[in-house]
Amino acid sequence: MIKKHQPLRKFPDYKSSIIRSPDNEPLLINFSNSEITGPLFNKNILNENDNNLILNFSKNGEKALGQEIFVHGFVKDENGSPLKDVLIEVWQANAGGKYRHQNDPSNIKLDENFGGCGRFITSSDGYYIFKTIEPGAYPYPNRGVEWRPKHIHFSLFGSMFLQRLITQMYFEGDPLIESCPMVNSIPDINARKLLVGKLDLSKTDEERILGYRFDIILRGKQQTYFENKIEGS
Amino acid sequence: MVKIQKFTDTPSQTAGPFLHIGCTPSIAGINIFKDVLGSTPFKNISLNEEINIKGKIYDGNNNPITDAMIETWQCDKNGKYFNYQGFSRRVTDFKTGEYQIKTIRPGNQIKEDGKISPSYILFWIVARGMNRPLITRMYFDENELKSDVMFKNLNIQDRLKTLIPYTEDKKHFVFDIHLQGKKETIFFEF
Repeated sequence: MIKKHQPLRKFPDYKSSIIRSPDNEPLLINFSNSEITGPLFNKNILNENDNNLILNFSKNGEKALGQEIFVHGFVKDENGSPLKDVLIEVWQANAGGKYRHQNDPSNIKLDENFGGCGRFITSSDGYYIFKTIEPGAYPYPNRGVEWRPKHIHFSLFGSMFLQRLITQMYFEGDPLIESCPMVNSIPDINARKLLVGKLDLSKTDEERILGYRFDIILRGKQQTYFENKIEGS
Repeated sequence: MVKIQKFTDTPSQTAGPFLHIGCTPSIAGINIFKDVLGSTPFKNISLNEEINIKGKIYDGNNNPITDAMIETWQCDKNGKYFNYQGFSRRVTDFKTGEYQIKTIRPGNQIKEDGKISPSYILFWIVARGMNRPLITRMYFDENELKSDVMFKNLNIQDRLKTLIPYTEDKKHFVFDIHLQGKKETIFFEF
């Protein structure tokens, strides 16, 4: 009972998953109202610069340091229909690979103009866009010291809790992707590619900002693995 | 029964140890957003309706997880879900691993077949080391839960107690979540 396009919960190459995943397979049950409903977030929770990580933590209007990029794309369901009003939260390391977080042990300098988070809501055609700087790769303890590929964390709320998703966008061409155990916890090699933001030169402009395109698909109500369900559930 | 979908849903990835930056930025010392998401599931909870839930999430070594995020989702006291209330978001304490939620007891839902379903709160959990979220439910009444037809025919009756919190006064609840071992919580998939 494995969704091959979703990562394995217990994937020993990613060491902390060994003690942080259940030993029993989760129980497949029919969803109830609690899964097909969910919170809806109104655009009036947003400030003007919430989708601009280059400026939203700025001191005195100074920009965050690093290669400036746009990340944009569409959020759709499995049938390709656009999903509007999806709240997206993003967070990332600074250009040197350092997070603004008390538990980040890195001795890389923080950027005083960079907080590292943003949020925005998809438009009626499912579109989102935000501006940020390209995050740095960084080492972390796993099987010895390993390197995370450059990535941006994404959190999405669809219209029902079934669709709730936290994932990461990687950057096209980053050689660290291939050896990343978190990426490789996804059995389906083609599905891994869905996490790679593609360089999008059509989005670059005279502001000297490079573009990346990252589309996201949220699941629907279909119980994809119904045939594996335990009798009587 | 498998429906072929046009597109594959985007794979999940771990929220990592620094999820606070994006999900609860004020805890990371970043105060740039207008409001805090999920700070309370309901506005104006009255004292006589208020319940308090606390607990820890234990890993396979029986240590509390100090970098997890829990989101809860529930109906109101009449068993109805509304998209503007019922959501809360908490992170476990950096030192103790404890989470705390003040809410109200959700009502029972009337199902399509007219039967009454048990009262519960959905728990959605992410953390470093979790490639996918873990979903469980805190039920309020063991008898209600055991008689639910959804669970009746499954061979898990002895594990159902992992979905019931400890309480002495039905106002204060302790709901610990165990990822592995004898007390392993039941997690769900849909």
